[in-house]
Formats: sequence, structure tokens, C-alpha cells
Amino acid sequence: MLAKNKTRTLYRRLLLPFACLSVIIITSACSSNSTTSSDRSTQNTNAQSNDIELAVVSDFADRVVIPTYNLLVKQAEDLNQAVNTFVSDPNDDNLRAAQQAWIETRFPWEKSEAFAFGPASSLGYDGDLDDWPVNETDLEAIINSSDSITEEYVEELQTTEKGFHTIELLLFGEDNNKKAADFTQRKLDLLKVLTSTFQQSATDLAKSWTEGVEGNPPYREVLATAGNDDNPAYPTVEAAVEEIVQGMLGCLDEVANEKIGEPLETKETEGLESRFSHSSLNDFQSNLQSVANAYLGEVPEANTSGKSLSDLIANNNPELDEQVKQEIQAAIDAVSAIPAPIETKLTEAEAETTMTTAQEAIITLFTTIEEQVLPIVQG
Amino acid sequence: MTSLSWRSSNKLATLAMLFMVAIIIGIFLSRLWNSASPQIPLAAGETTVFNRTSTAYEQPSAGLTEANFDKHGEGDIAFEAVFVTSPARVNPGLGPLFNNASCAGCHIRNGRGLPEKGQMLVRVSDPQESNLDSNTVPLQYQLEDNIKQSNTPSVPGLGTQIQDQAIYGYQPEAAVEMNWQEVTERYGDGTTYQLRSPEPKITLANGESLSPEIQISPRIPSPVFGIGLLEAIPNQTLEKLADPEDKDGDGISGRLNQVWDVQTKSTAIGKFGWKAGHPTLLQQSASAYVNDMGVTNPLFTEPDGSADIDEEILDNANFYVQTLAVPARTLTKDSQVQRGETLFNEANCAACHISTLKTGKYEVKELSYQTIYPYTDLLLHDMGEGLADNRPEFLATGTEWRTPPLWGIGLTHTVLPYSSFLHDGRARTLEEAILWHGGEAEASREAFRNLSADNRAALVKFLRSL
Repeated sequence: MLAKNKTRTLYRRLLLPFACLSVIIITSACSSNSTTSSDRSTQNTNAQSNDIELAVVSDFADRVVIPTYNLLVKQAEDLNQAVNTFVSDPNDDNLRAAQQAWIETRFPWEKSEAFAFGPASSLGYDGDLDDWPVNETDLEAIINSSDSITEEYVEELQTTEKGFHTIELLLFGEDNNKKAADFTQRKLDLLKVLTSTFQQSATDLAKSWTEGVEGNPPYREVLATAGNDDNPAYPTVEAAVEEIVQGMLGCLDEVANEKIGEPLETKETEGLESRFSHSSLNDFQSNLQSVANAYLGEVPEANTSGKSLSDLIANNNPELDEQVKQEIQAAIDAVSAIPAPIETKLTEAEAETTMTTAQEAIITLFTTIEEQVLPIVQG
Repeated sequence: MTSLSWRSSNKLATLAMLFMVAIIIGIFLSRLWNSASPQIPLAAGETTVFNRTSTAYEQPSAGLTEANFDKHGEGDIAFEAVFVTSPARVNPGLGPLFNNASCAGCHIRNGRGLPEKGQMLVRVSDPQESNLDSNTVPLQYQLEDNIKQSNTPSVPGLGTQIQDQAIYGYQPEAAVEMNWQEVTERYGDGTTYQLRSPEPKITLANGESLSPEIQISPRIPSPVFGIGLLEAIPNQTLEKLADPEDKDGDGISGRLNQVWDVQTKSTAIGKFGWKAGHPTLLQQSASAYVNDMGVTNPLFTEPDGSADIDEEILDNANFYVQTLAVPARTLTKDSQVQRGETLFNEANCAACHISTLKTGKYEVKELSYQTIYPYTDLLLHDMGEGLADNRPEFLATGTEWRTPPLWGIGLTHTVLPYSSFLHDGRARTLEEAILWHGGEAEASREAFRNLSADNRAALVKFLRSL
């Protein structure tokens, strides 16, 4: 080790002056030439690659983000309907149907995890729909109170007292053990209003991208006009493409190090996000699907696809594109091998090994994207 | 002879070969140089990251040791943790009174927040002389009264900050409604622009309006990245920059706040917050826990000395903020951006928004001895009547504000669409933010106001490149 380091230092000492000299020679040689055709052709290539990049980001908005949110709205409507049916006739079959509708609604939402930027965070939809943990103490107090439960009342509640997980707690109970007979009228009343305000938030979120809310233009425009001088978020198209990549990285980091990593380390189920319904594994899987959709520029459930980041990478380095696709699939397969429901199997040896393998597969994908895809996008 | 000529030709060949090798290495190095370090000052020295997306403020500083990288990750979890009412299995300790339930709930994606409920907070004080020296017993959970108040005497029933949310069974202290008043003004070239200023309507829990005697100061959350580097700037640097009596006669004074340090129980230089009211990042963080979330902690405990979070969580959250990276600039080769930078300097904006500073020895080694480009002097300046909140804070007068750093400001709307600028979020655009400058900055504002539309656009584009 020491010898190797010494040699390196020697090389640096001896060769650096030469290297610097030759840099000076080369740069002065290049700059002495006036603008050549090669410069112009670079400009043309830049313009072309800009066109492709712009197509990637605008298709990303129209064929990945918006279709995902539209699926969420559709499922939220189904959930609301199923809950209404259950509330008007609270039997176990209707409860099962409402629970299933909740599970189905969770899929498109968790598939939006790789692109949680824009209105989702700044206009508070993320918090309204999916805050965590549930404020169980306050929820209990609300149920035991005589407050009149209206939409206005629910709108004023803290975000930890509404949204996915509060509805989940009401529908499934602490440990996926709820029966229709457990529901008091207060709980039914609260559940009904929570799901209807949930549907409203989901609708507003989709609208913030398609039509615009609160007097703002639709957020899709921000991506579609990336690189324009007056674009509020992306003064270059590259930055907008990078937004897709960073979103994928953020999502993978969260699944590997928090959603899988924390329970793996602590062996405590409290940290599992959808533990009431025993469906946290669905969340991991959907998050990976979100990354796949962002990369491939498609939403299979909505039959939409367009120009994608994958196309962009394939133009540049087809082997890398292939590698990313394979590693996405490997991560999805690795998560599929985790025994379900993880909420009851967390302490089993099989859970430990499969979760570790899944975590490694996701980190492999993360590393490839960070070290190889990102530099291509950043140019 | 022969041997000599052989030797010299051998020498020549060696030289030629060395030259070739040098050229090859040179090409390699020049490529490396171009891709890795652009020839522009890096915003935060070796700690700079390259990210111009909505996640730009969420990156760990480049070059953290593995142990510190992991600690940053732990801190990330603490910063995002959403508190709930006790008892709870996860994150108990919220309230009973609060403004928001998590750090990240206000500092959205580590950037600023909007001037709306849950993100904006209103500081209050009662200027009545009789209160100045009174030793009001801190109301339970209004622990900001534990800080020596000096000239910000608390308002009975409110403390020094309005908590407009409460856990179930408690009454929020007041409801804050933001109303805006618009005025139309003109650029030098006749183009009109609108400015808005806040007129908050504050209704107390008992339904009465807050007395007009009470001084109020609405504040939006500041971005939280790069603050470790600011903390790493030596006090001597700030003392040198300060010019309280304007001895150099440039019309710009620059004063250091002197505030209360709860750890050393003594007066210290204020650096953090809109009026530089906190001496350390740790105190700023701990104060935000207790005042904004009602989460007691080792610096601000319950009356019996217990706390909702322990030292490790407070320390991790604080470390997270200390080690949040500053993103590198964009479009630095754009000629409009370069012209904008010249105009920025010509308008003397850089007198307070100082571009270049150096960090000293710091508790996070990786942030020590860096040349950074924060565009601030961390000093208090008189910003005129228009921006005044008329509520003093330690040495800061009602018209003084601390120069906020401008690094990363171009990403404001990338990170948080629809957000706004200045202490109360009144400025919807960078142009509006400049146009609100008064007091010591009046000449700079006038210089901007009288630029051509083209030059105004260039100056703003320079800001957006930061």
C-alpha cells in the first residue's frame, strides 16, 4: 500500500508539470482556430439533443405523472364509493370490499413516489393524503367527542388525523383485525367524511398538473417549457431531465435505507408504513414500479408511453440502458421474494435474508443510476 | 563521439516520448478538469454539490466522512419525523401548542415555506414599558420565555410567538389570517409593477382582535441548507465586516446583533434567524423544536427537567442542517448572466450581499477552511420603513434585518413552486424583493429601478443562476 502511494506521488510530481504544459499547448492550439464547422455541428447536435430531452420531460409530465395521478383519482372515487356502501350497510363483506378499495388506491399513490415534486409538496397534497404516523391519541379523542364531523371539520384537522393511514387504521384496525361489528356510528361518520375529503385532495392534486389550481398555470407547463427564459423552475432542459433522475434516486434511497432498512435494523414493525393493513410490501413494490415508470416513460395500467429517459440513455450508451433495465427487474424480483405479510414475518430468518438481498439489489440500481446515468444527463 | 551522439539521440527519444505521454495525460486531465470542476467559483468550496432540481437543497455536503454521512442520514430522519400527541409509539411529544408537527413541514424540502397557516409564524411582543423588566412566570409550554427577553417582552397569554395550532382538547392561541394590500409603482422607464404588503388579522382564542399596541412580526421559514458553512465563518471575520458607525462613509453600516446564549448563559454574537436572534445553529434548532412544534428538548426542557426528545435526536437534526450542501451555480457561461453579475456589483448590492467569505476551523471538519460564495455578510442593516416590522429583537431595531444569503436562491421555485421572498413572503418575484429594499439599500434599489428592462432581466437572471 505504502509503496503504491509513493509511486503515485512520484508520478504526480514528475508528470504534472508536463501535463500542464501540454494542456496549455493544446488549448492555445485549439483557441487559435476560429469557429469551425465542428463547432457548428456541435451546436446542431445540441439542438437535436435538446429536442429529445424536451420530448422526454414533456412526455414524462403527460404520460407518466398525470396518468398516475388520474389513476389515483379513479381509485379514490372507488374507495369513497366502497366506504359509502359500507357505512350505509356495515357488514363484513362490505368492509372487505372497502378494505380492498383502500389497497387498490394505495398502488397508484405509491407509484407516484418517484415524482413527488411540484404541487404535491408545495400545495400540501402530500401531507393531506399521506402523512405518517397517525395521531392515534387525538383520533381517539375525536371519536369519543361529540364534535360534529363535517368536511370543514376534517379540513381543519392535522394531517396526521386524516389521509391514507388514518383511513387505514379505521378500516383495518391496529393489526389487520377489524370486523364490521367493531364500528361505532362515530367511527362510520368519521370514515365517510375522511374518504370524501381524501378524494377531493386527490382530485385537486391531479388538477394542479392538468388545469392548474389557485390561479396557477397547470404544472405540466413547467416541464413542457423547460429551458425557456421565463421558466420558473428549469432554466435548462438538462435540469428538468435531471429532475426525473433525482426523483428516481430519492425514491430508491428511501425504499432501501428507510422503508426496508429501518425495520431490518430495528426488527420493529412500528416503522412499517402500512402496518395496519399488513400491506407495506405493496408499498415497496409500487415504489420500485414508480422508478421503472419514470425511467421507461410509461404507465402500463393507463396504457400510456412516450419518449423516455431510457431512450435518452440508449442513444448514448445502449449497454448502460440494458443494465439499468435489468437492475430494475432484479430489484423488483428481490422485493417479491420477501415473505408476505412482512408485518407478521419480520422477525423470521427468511425475512432477514430476503430483505437484505432486496436492499442490496436496490442499492446496486441506485449506484448505477447515480454513477453512470446521472453524469450523462448532467452532460 | 558515436557513444555521445547515441546518447543524445536516446535523450531526444526519451524527451519526445515524455512529451507524448505528457500530451496524452494532458488531454486526460483537461477532460477531467472540464467535467469535474467548471472554471467558476464553486458555491461552497469542496463541499459543493451539482444538482439543479427540486432535491437540490436535500443533499449531504460533498466530502463527508463515512461516519458523518451516516449521521447526516440519521439527522434526515429526525428532520422529517412528524410528531403526534403523547402517548404514542412513534414520535410522541407534539404541542400542546404548535405551528407545525415536523421540521420538514415548515422548511419544505429544506427550502422556505409559504406565508400560510402551518408555515408562517407571527412573533409578538408587548412594548409597554412596565413589561420590560417584569419577570413574568413562563406560561407552561411557552418556553421561549426561558430566553432572556431583553427588549422583546412577551405578551401575556401569547408569549413571544403565536402558536396557531393545538392538539385535541387545547385551544390555539390565536387565528392568523393573512391579507395583502397591493400598490402600483413604476420603474424608471415607466413600466408599472405591483408590490404587496401583509396586513395580518389576528383573532385571539376569546374571539377578540389582538390589541394594536402589540408589536407583530410575521415570518416565513428560511431555507436551511449551507448553514453549517455560515456557522463556520469566524467571528473575527464578521467583526471586521461590521461598520456600525459607517466609518468608511459608504452609507452602509452593518451591525452585529448581540443575543442571549442559553447554553453559556451569556451574551453572544447573533447569526441565525431573520434578525440574527440566535447565536448558534443548535439553539436555533432547539428553539424551533420547542416553539414551533411544542417539542421539549435538552436545551428547552419541561419545568421538571424532562424532555420529549433526547440529546442524540436534537444533535442529529442539528447536524443534518449543518451538513446540508449548497448547489453549484448554473448558466455561468451565459452572457446575460455575466452581464447581470456586473450590474449586481455596479448597483452595490454586493456591499451587503458579499460574495466571497472563508470558513475557519469548525466542529464539522469537512466544512473547515473553505472559500464559499454565500452573498451575505450576516450583519444587520437598516432596510427602511417599507420593510420594517417595528419589532426590535435584542440589538436589532424595528427596521433592521440580517442580510440573507443568496446562494441557491435561483432554485427557490424549483424546490417550492409558488413560494415567495423576504421575511414575510411578501415578494412574489426576485424583482419585487429587490424593489422592497430601502434604508441603507435604497441607492441600490434605485439603481435597479432605473435600469433598462433588458438590464433588469440580466440582473435577475444572474440571481437565478445562483
